[in-house]
Amino acid sequence: MTATDLITADKQSPQADALDWVIRARGLSLHIDDRAILHDLTFDINPGSYVALLGANGAGKSTLLHMLATLTVPTAGELRLFGKRVGRGNPAIRANIGMIGHQPMLYRDLTALENLVFFGKLYNVKNPTDRAEELLDQVALSHRADDPACTFSRGMVQRLAIARALMHNPKLLLADEPFSGLDMASGRMLENLLAQLHAQGMTIVLVNHDIEQSLALAQRAIALRQGRIVVDAQTCELDLETVIQEIGIS
Amino acid sequence: MMLLLRQIIMLTGKDLRIEARSRQTLGLVIVLGILIIVVLGLGLGPEQLTNGASATATLWVAYLFAGVLVFEKTMSVERHDGALASLLLAPIDRSVIYVAKLISNLILMLILALVITPVAVVLFGFDLSAAPGQFTMIMAMSILGFAAVGTLFAAVVSSTRLQGGLLAIVVLPLALPLVIASTQMMIQLFRDGKPIGGTGLTVLLAADVLYLVTSWLVFELILEP
Repeated sequence: MTATDLITADKQSPQADALDWVIRARGLSLHIDDRAILHDLTFDINPGSYVALLGANGAGKSTLLHMLATLTVPTAGELRLFGKRVGRGNPAIRANIGMIGHQPMLYRDLTALENLVFFGKLYNVKNPTDRAEELLDQVALSHRADDPACTFSRGMVQRLAIARALMHNPKLLLADEPFSGLDMASGRMLENLLAQLHAQGMTIVLVNHDIEQSLALAQRAIALRQGRIVVDAQTCELDLETVIQEIGIS
Repeated sequence: MMLLLRQIIMLTGKDLRIEARSRQTLGLVIVLGILIIVVLGLGLGPEQLTNGASATATLWVAYLFAGVLVFEKTMSVERHDGALASLLLAPIDRSVIYVAKLISNLILMLILALVITPVAVVLFGFDLSAAPGQFTMIMAMSILGFAAVGTLFAAVVSSTRLQGGLLAIVVLPLALPLVIASTQMMIQLFRDGKPIGGTGLTVLLAADVLYLVTSWLVFELILEP
């Protein structure tokens, strides 16, 4: 299989109907000073897809995820989410995005419940307290609902961050290394939760350093090397060795 | 409009709840404010301090340095654990984040002023009795402009590695028009016994409007997760 063969999955013509994709990237690039962080990325992601973003450290995975979250503005190219072009502002687009980042994005002095209710209100969630309690139950933190986040272990903070990202039931979940800091049981719980959300129709883009796990979980893999797409294929068509070779991990 | 108002109240409420629980900011700035008043008060001596102009200048120094700490602390809450990114991801206008943070800072500055001003009056006999209402009005207008730029630059500086000193270096020169205008009016008020107004008031009003509008417009552009 050649690198060209590996860039096959979910390619859509530019005229494809807006309903056919959640994310449409055309020539996305990011240059900081003279350094190219992302170079001419073009891809579509369909609704309900489960996509793994792979790559070595510094390949641009997290930067691309930030761009998809509208937190980083590309220096060239066009990004459309849910049919709308992403620019500055546009809060309506962000209402459909949930993100689990490297950092938990929580307020450490607020309790688990207060954190979730606060974010629920920001997203205009109906009955935010009920929704927060439901999610705390799902991530096995109900017994610590009234404790401040600063008293939680790393794994518990990560579980709370996952609950925060899901509080408004987003259509698109962007997860940057969501398994980091989780023990085996919590990791399995998260795998099941992501599978369940995917089954419910949520589009998931997962950045994960564990390539084998990513290939097992996701339907499609996009691999980056030095800011360029080197693999874009269904995971069932890929094997671990090929991906490792393409992304340049020795 | 109601939605914006609700979002501002929500964000401000969150800031104040965090402050009430952690007491990280107020405890520190009140102690700093009182220390500044005591050190300057002792340095100037009793004759100088009964003069209203010196008293207000002393209070100004306390407000400025304690204020810089307020802006820095309230913004650092957003930087911890990447909380700011979660606000930037939320479907709210980014100017709402600015207005809410400004209101939080103003409330904390108000509490600071309510504590250290009476302390200064009691400890050193600052004589503000000639025009307490006008003194309050001038200081409130000055603090509004100061907090407007302080909130903006706290967001800028918090994303750099040069926190701490840098905010003071950037914000204190910008506060100069406010300090000069309000001090001139205080001299006019307490030494000469004339009511406030004229150029000083115009400068204060213009600086407030300029700082508020510019900061509100620029905030969205400088905000990085």
